[in-house]
Amino acid sequence: MSAALARSSALHERARAMARAFEKHQPPPESFDSLAADLARFQAEHVPGYARLCAARGVDAHSIMRAADAPAVPTDAFKVARVFAFDERDAGVTFRTSGTTLGARGAHSMRDAATYDAVALAFGKAMLGIGPRIPVLVLGPSEDEAPDSSLAHMCALFSRELGVSETRTDYFVQAGSLQVEALRARVGSLRADAPALLLATSFALVHLLDEIGADPLPLPPGSRVMQTGGFKGRSREVSAPELRRLLSIRFSVPERAIISEYGMTELSSQFWEATFVDERAGLGVYAEPPWARVVPVDPETLSAVPRGDVGVARIEDLANVDSAFAIVTQDRVRRVAGGFELLGRLPGAPPRGCSIALDEILSGSETPP
Amino acid sequence: MNFTGDRVSSIRHLLAAAARVYEGRHRLIGPIAETTGLSPEGVELGFGYLERRASDADLGALLAGASEAAHVHVILSANVFVAPLRALALAIAAAPKVTVRPSPRDPWLTRALVGELENRCVEIVDERSAAALDADSFHVYGRDETIALVKAEAHRGTAIWGHGAGLGVVILTQAAEVDAAAMRIALDVVAFDQRGCLSPRLVLVEGNLAQGTRVAEALHRELAALADLVPRGRLDPDEREQARRWTDTVAFAGRTWQGRDHVVGLGPDGEPLTVPPAGRHVHVANVRSLEDARALLHPTARFIVSVGTDDPERVRDSVPDHARLSPLGAMQSPPLDGPVDRRRA
Repeated sequence: MSAALARSSALHERARAMARAFEKHQPPPESFDSLAADLARFQAEHVPGYARLCAARGVDAHSIMRAADAPAVPTDAFKVARVFAFDERDAGVTFRTSGTTLGARGAHSMRDAATYDAVALAFGKAMLGIGPRIPVLVLGPSEDEAPDSSLAHMCALFSRELGVSETRTDYFVQAGSLQVEALRARVGSLRADAPALLLATSFALVHLLDEIGADPLPLPPGSRVMQTGGFKGRSREVSAPELRRLLSIRFSVPERAIISEYGMTELSSQFWEATFVDERAGLGVYAEPPWARVVPVDPETLSAVPRGDVGVARIEDLANVDSAFAIVTQDRVRRVAGGFELLGRLPGAPPRGCSIALDEILSGSETPP
Repeated sequence: MNFTGDRVSSIRHLLAAAARVYEGRHRLIGPIAETTGLSPEGVELGFGYLERRASDADLGALLAGASEAAHVHVILSANVFVAPLRALALAIAAAPKVTVRPSPRDPWLTRALVGELENRCVEIVDERSAAALDADSFHVYGRDETIALVKAEAHRGTAIWGHGAGLGVVILTQAAEVDAAAMRIALDVVAFDQRGCLSPRLVLVEGNLAQGTRVAEALHRELAALADLVPRGRLDPDEREQARRWTDTVAFAGRTWQGRDHVVGLGPDGEPLTVPPAGRHVHVANVRSLEDARALLHPTARFIVSVGTDDPERVRDSVPDHARLSPLGAMQSPPLDGPVDRRRA
């Protein structure tokens, strides 16, 4: 094993150790900044683009002592450059964003998904309040159908590791088509005394609501519904509170059991509403695991904004060992008690002149995982 | 009645009015600088692109390409500040009656032109709803949403000609003399601070990465020198945000040269293009062949309005049919022979 690979493996192990400590309700084995600083040095040495970005921002990566000092990589970089620290031939997993009008898709490659899986499971399981295995239903494609989707990977992981069984029949989007009757039958077959978990994208849920109309689709008591992603023109838009209200009614679960997840192809970690496991948690407030955090920053200076102000999301994810542990997105966020609020993207002011705006060319930079 | 002669005469009146506005431009520089965000020097430079004369052949082409209508209403929403001249010329070429709604944000040149015409062939109508107007043809210059709104509001059967936003591109062949080309490209970039649909934001360089680097370095030098003469105006917060994002992306993916008023980025060999925001940001990419240039531009082809090049003959087949081909340094001043944007919306 090369020295670089050995270093990478050691950093992965440190990230996974944070997840293991979290699962055991123990304090993190090291500080966030300690691992972040080592990741910044490693990435500056082995991800050529990161060294160039540091140089352009006038930052010596070897002097970085705090996560906040490390330049963040714009998510657009994942579309136009290689953002990984290893030989391309060693990429075991590559997740891709959905297409854009420029034809470029963001790619997030990993040597393997071990760290991704460890951190996703640790925090997801905690936020979903999953103890013993429960039936997991996925309103989305299977990994076979969407092999480069990180969301499909996560859903398959949850189905495999948290579910009572993982079969193709638990996926209710096939060949791009919602299998409403199959879902209805599967829900009907659930034991009334055993809660289930439904994993879904927001736009798939809207399509489902449109299909079932006023018909109820009651899940067993104690069930939860995970929803993620925006609409991106793939369904009609429904406000978050309205979607939550409708899902609560149709699935016969409390609104606090409709749990939103925020993730991105460019990340290894996810953020979850804690509403199901913490009665103090606010709706629309995303909690962070100890190994990842979201910092609202000024979109121009990229400096942190005062607490309570809105900024774009700078996301520091210590599980992004071989890519970019600090990224900057175009999503607007605000820190609040218990985490952060996701405010989406503001439409820009009308551009002056007739030069086409980037938003008109690009159909969005970050895309659902 | 000789409609063609009347309309040529009206357009000549319009050009004469433009010449008078140009002569008195000092009164307009302040207000236009305020509304456009350009520096006063940038407005002065922009006035240089205001059409004040046209050949008979160009006007013949303008008239030949014009559709026929009884009443054209021109809606100016998002343009560079000199664009109203051509918009009015196109409308006059199409109809005996022309009304115009100036851009609410940037009304100065339209009002000045119509004032100089003494309402003889164009009348200002500030009505915002297309449904309230009896024009049988609308010429709409604005964003896609504006064009769609007019289409939705206009009476059934009304013709709508939409001119949306667009993008300019430069293709330099291997034979180009780099320093001279860079100087001319810089002029095309600096005009209107790149906020026009003719403004180049991408420069494709036939050759290897070293050739692309030479062009990027030369363009950086020329933009820096021009900034002393024509400082960039103010950028809006959105523009500054996009600039930060694009600059960091290109710094990661390739290389940047940053000046006080500009950034030149060089993309990685063979990777997809990152289209920079307006405001004197230029993405340079080398291409191995003109065939590669065509492939690289393919995803943006429908946005490309203008292509500047040192060799139009060789480049013609590599660019979209609708794109205007111009010599370098003249991308912002196409002949008055029709719309600058030859796409049909």
